[in-house]
Amino acid sequence: MDKDEHSVDPEGSSADRSGLVSEDGKNTKSVLCQRCGSKVLCPGMAVFSEKELFLPSMKKKRALSTSEGPMDGDNLTAHWLVDDMYTFENVGFTNDVGRIKYLICADCEIGPIGWHCLDDKKSFYVAVERVNHA
Amino acid sequence: MDPRYEVPRRAGAGGSSNSSPALGASSRRRKIPPRPADFKLQIIIIGSRGVGKTSLMERFTDDTFCEACKSTVGVDFKIKTVDLRGKKIRLQIWDTAGQERFNSITSAYYRGAKGIVLVYDITKQETFEDLPKWMKMIDKYASEEAELLLVGNKLDCETDRIVTKQQAERFASRISGMRFCEASAKDNFNVDEIFLKLVDDILSKMPLEIPSRELSNSILSLQPEPEVPPELPPPRMRCC
Repeated sequence: MDKDEHSVDPEGSSADRSGLVSEDGKNTKSVLCQRCGSKVLCPGMAVFSEKELFLPSMKKKRALSTSEGPMDGDNLTAHWLVDDMYTFENVGFTNDVGRIKYLICADCEIGPIGWHCLDDKKSFYVAVERVNHA
Repeated sequence: MDPRYEVPRRAGAGGSSNSSPALGASSRRRKIPPRPADFKLQIIIIGSRGVGKTSLMERFTDDTFCEACKSTVGVDFKIKTVDLRGKKIRLQIWDTAGQERFNSITSAYYRGAKGIVLVYDITKQETFEDLPKWMKMIDKYASEEAELLLVGNKLDCETDRIVTKQQAERFASRISGMRFCEASAKDNFNVDEIFLKLVDDILSKMPLEIPSRELSNSILSLQPEPEVPPELPPPRMRCC
């Protein structure tokens, strides 16, 4: 059954990621918090989407503080996209930073793991790199 | 751009536009998934400053984003899922920390709430004495059907206890339908139970035959903001 998917990307650096995306572009696995394992999304509920988004660092204190120099963080391109916040199993939303709300783990509050812009109420992004898949 | 992110998107992925990757083929093609939850409920957590409202939503924290997050940005709300009575229930939990002055919490918070968790600190008399003021807010703004749960928090500080369990039970018994329990967010004692109990009470009041979509449309708003009333559809579900 997975033969087809396999043949698309037999090797290379994207091999691990291709296993995460189904034929119709959805997540084949559950999306989990990297730290505490809290379930963010069930399989098949999100669509893989490419969009370059800046997410502040998960590690640094005051990563979100804009007052002191450039923010520490990453430009991330690979995301799980859902169009309704109630699609999430568990997720937290920060207060607004400009027009952005960052997504965090609902249980341990690590983050940002994702991004939501108040100007697009139908798009909620979770960065593939900042979550586990199982 | 980054080849690492190239994934097979064959079906209809012919010319995904480069200028606007967010609107690439894969997202355009997405179908509306099956309704992911049976019920969606809004719950708010209120109470005086420092009683531990926020920690009721947390399990553990350490020196990561949470710290940074709290001091700078703060958590606005959470979506949490519980399974109860064979139903999958999504909770949208609003914590009003930082807006404790009674009148600064706008009615928008209360309006859509199906459950209200009213928290005091068992070691601080004044937080208990504030309860009637909070009740006034509830009476004024919340739906009459909202389930109320009184929580005496900081049970881990038993040695500093000022407010007895009996006092709080007496208070709760005077308010029809108000439940009471004590909890310790620090030890995670009773915390899950609090939410499950509340949700169970909400469910038992609910006409379960109503399609979840209809139900959810009536009680949800996408981005309720404290200052601007959320765009709630007409409250046709304020049943009976």
